[in-house]
Parts: sequence; C-alpha cells; structure tokens
Amino acid sequence: MLSIIVLGLFGIAVLWMAVYGYRISAKTAEDYMLAGRGIGLIVLFFFTLFGISSTWTFYAYPGFLYRHGPAFVYFIWGCVAGFIALYMFFGPRLWAAAKLNHFLSPVEVLAQRYESKALRLILALVLLASMVPYISIESLGVGLGFKAFAGVHEAVGIIYTTILLICIILLGGMRATAWTNIFLGIIYATTFLGSLLLVINRVFPDGLPQAIQILSATNPELLTAPGPIVEGEPFFTYPIIVGVFITGLMAFSWPHIVMGTLTVRDKAIFKWFPLLGIVAGGICFYTIPFIWGSIVAPAISHMDGTLVPVVSGKAADNVVQVIITEYLPEWFSTFALMGVIAAALSTAAIQLMTSAILVSRDLIHGFFKPDATDRQLIIWTKLSVIGLLILSVGIALWHPLALALYLTNIAVPGFAQWAPCLAGGIVWKRGTKYGAIAGALVGTAMLIAAFILHLSSFFIIASFIVNALVYVIVSLLTPKPSEHIERMFFDEVEEFLEEKA
Amino acid sequence: MREIFKHKPGRFFLIVLLLSFIGMLWAPRYFFEPYIFFGWLSAPCLAGFIFILIWLIAYLIYFFRYWPYRD
Repeated sequence: MLSIIVLGLFGIAVLWMAVYGYRISAKTAEDYMLAGRGIGLIVLFFFTLFGISSTWTFYAYPGFLYRHGPAFVYFIWGCVAGFIALYMFFGPRLWAAAKLNHFLSPVEVLAQRYESKALRLILALVLLASMVPYISIESLGVGLGFKAFAGVHEAVGIIYTTILLICIILLGGMRATAWTNIFLGIIYATTFLGSLLLVINRVFPDGLPQAIQILSATNPELLTAPGPIVEGEPFFTYPIIVGVFITGLMAFSWPHIVMGTLTVRDKAIFKWFPLLGIVAGGICFYTIPFIWGSIVAPAISHMDGTLVPVVSGKAADNVVQVIITEYLPEWFSTFALMGVIAAALSTAAIQLMTSAILVSRDLIHGFFKPDATDRQLIIWTKLSVIGLLILSVGIALWHPLALALYLTNIAVPGFAQWAPCLAGGIVWKRGTKYGAIAGALVGTAMLIAAFILHLSSFFIIASFIVNALVYVIVSLLTPKPSEHIERMFFDEVEEFLEEKA
Repeated sequence: MREIFKHKPGRFFLIVLLLSFIGMLWAPRYFFEPYIFFGWLSAPCLAGFIFILIWLIAYLIYFFRYWPYRD
C-alpha cells in the first residue's frame, strides 16, 4: 500500500512539473522543441547526464559487469570521453550554426551544410531506426523493476512509464523534459548511491575489500579480463576491450545528446560544462554502477548463505533490484524502484523528443510541408511522440533482448553512422554531400548485414571506420562545397563565436 | 576544434588528449592479471580514472587560460 502511495505521489510530482512547463512555455516551435534555446549550465548538466544515464546504467550495465567482469568499464570510459569531446570540440560550432540560421534539429543543420535533402532523409531514418529500440529498453527496464519488486507482469511498469512520458512531453516539450530531469536526476543518483552504501554496510561490514576477498576465493575470473565464458556473448580479449572503448567514444554522436547542444543559452556554457561532465559524471556518478556490478552484486551472489544466488542471461539485468529487495527494507525498495522510473523517464523523454523532432521537422516539414506554421510543427511533434512511443513499447514486448544488447548492438552502432558527416561537417570545410551520403550508406549497409547475418562485433566497429574512410575519400574526389556554404558554416560561425558574449 | 588547432596551446592540449587515448589502448594488456589497487579497485577502472584525470587537468589548464573564444 505504501508503495502504491509513494509511486502515485511521484507520478503527481512529475505531472505537476510538466503542467508548469506548459504554462511558462511560449507556444512556439523553437520553445517547444529547443526550450527557446535558453538552457543554462546546471539544467543542461542534469538534462544531459540523466539523458544518457538510463535504466541501462541502473540495470543492464551492472548486469553486464556481473556476468563478464570489469573490462566492460572501458565502454563507459569511452562514452565519458565522447560526451566531453562533443561539448569541447563540436558543440560550440553546432550551436552557433543552428542559432544563427534558426535550425531546429541537428540533422537539419547537416542537410543545409551539405545542401542535400537525400542526406536529410537518410540520416533521419538511420537515427530513428537506432533510437526507437533504445527507447523501448527504458519502459522495459521499469517493467523489469516492477516485476522484481512486486512480482507483477512487466506490462504494468511499461504502462506506468508510458503514461508519464506522454504527459511530460505533450505538455511541456523540451523545457519540461530538461527541468524534470533535475528532479528525476536527484532521485536517481540518491537512490543509486544510497542503495549501494546501505547494501555494503549491511552485507560487507569490512567494506569493499571484503567483497573482493569473496570473489578472489570463489570466482577470481570475475576480477580480471577476459572474464568468465558466457555462451553467445563476447569474451573480453584485448581487441574486444579496445573495440568497446572505441564504440564508447562514438557517444559524441548520440543524437539526443547532440540535440542538447542546440538548447544551450550561451557559449560560456561550453566552457564550464566539461568540468561538471568529467568530475560529477565521469569520476563520481559512473563509479556507482561499476561498484554495484563488478564487486557488490557478484560478491553477494557468490558468498555463503546468499539470498540472491547466481543468475545468468536476461535475469542478470535486474540483479541490482533483486538484491535491494532482498537485503533492504521494503520502503527502500520502493524508493529504488522510483529511482529506476526516474532513470527511465529522464532518458526516454529526451530520446522521444529528439525522435519526434526528426519526424516532424526533418521528415514532414523537410519533405511534405515546408511552409508549415509553428502550431502545425508542434502538433506533428506531439503526434510523432505518441506514434513512436507505441512503436517502442511494441518492440519491447515483441523482442525482449538482454537490455545491454539493445544499446551495444543496435543503438550505438546506428548512431555512429552519422558521426563522420557530423564531425566532418562542423570542422572540415572540404567535406561534401557525396562523401557524407556514400559514407552513411556504406556504413549502414554493413551494419544491417552484421545484424541480419549475426556477424561479430568487429564488423560493427568496422562499419564506422569504413564509413569515415569513404566519407573522406569521396569528399576529396568530388567538388568542394560552395563559397556560400563555407561562409555560412565556417566564416560566420567563427565570427559569431569570437564576438564578446 | 578548428579554433583549438589554430594556436600552439590548443595543439599541445590535443596532443595530451591523444597521448592519453593511446595510453588507454596500451593499458588493457595488464588487465589479464588479478591486480587490485587500494583493496577494491580493479585495473580497468584505475586506467579509466587516470585517463579521466589527465583530461581534467588538461581541460582546466587549457579552457581557463587559453580558451579560443571571447567570454
């Protein structure tokens, strides 16, 4: 009963923020899609950190470490560097180009930069195909949380999350999404850290060294690479570790994070943001799931008299929630579930907003209704949100992979396919539309082949490298972009950034 | 990125980041032995901490002394 009341109050608090976001919004497309380009440093930090830290971080990442040992942390180190690199190197120029020319989506920026509608279509479709399955893991993650906590069917959690998501996005758009992420992020971080400290305090009175001793005595392969053998999943050899690190670096191209750069209020934010990203995100926050998954959870499962025996496969995805439920009081389990819901909402909301913008701005407005009004754009975005949400829930129920595999096998490799033309379009004057189209098509074709034929993860990584090579070679072999484009995306952007704020 | 590459401190900053990246590619060869630091820290995690700390120091020096845009 207490749990239902708490989750009900949590839902009401989220709804209240969405309504407040709606009341203060300017009802323009720019306000609805990009929060009026007025996001400050602290909001951006919560918006971005908890936009990328999803149920994957709470469940799937610790679950993956639990089964494979610590080497997978290299993916996270790559991600941290990738996110920081986006804000250090590419963010200011992308933000300036979008602000100067009133672009509402990063794909729109690239379509104009390369003067290609075909590229706009290709990028929008590739990004949507990669992002929608990723959205599905958020609601699925909450479903797993409800199942582990109360033994109810996964659909209960999925429906609860879906209702809250629709309310946040339909009412408040990007502004409510960003502001709600502060509330959700605080709950998420408190729950995650609090549960870790309480479990360590209760189970390992001598601290983490005690947990390490248990693992050293029972399963020492969980403390080193290549980790234990898990059938059908990667064995962390040297090339795989390097591969996951490089895959992580592609985080600079995650579309929902790139979208964040367009919402920024002024350029000084790009100066300060990396500090918060490195210290609060990279060093502090991401250490929590690492300790959970690589030390605490496996040590509990392998110790004598455990309440949570060893689990494998998809069941490992909710080992953290099961440990919390078994070892901590019921009130804290409810709190932990609230943390998972916060994790799911904070990420899924920004992913849904980004996907809906790709549909409304880049596909509908870009191809079918170029003279659309602001009101029409907002309506299409809202309708897209509902359609995409239904699609993602359908995927979650139809094809429930282990959570970690949605991200590493589908979403991230797909996002990486626009990385060369994104980075090149911003910093390389010589990049051409033919290079961008050829690279994206070749890379995506390799990725689809790898997915259909179940080729190894090396092929997935190779798809990005081949994409980048094709982009550079074809760009050098084709006529350079016009002077107009050079002036618009390089000279004017540089002048704007060099002006005093 | 273009602005950072245009001046000497920027190029030095990028070289430091590149070296840290190479270090991250070199470090995994030591992950196959059971090294545990401070009683709990495994080698892949320690390597990442050092990598991030290098980025942090390089960023603090470069962004707050040589940032290429005007405040």
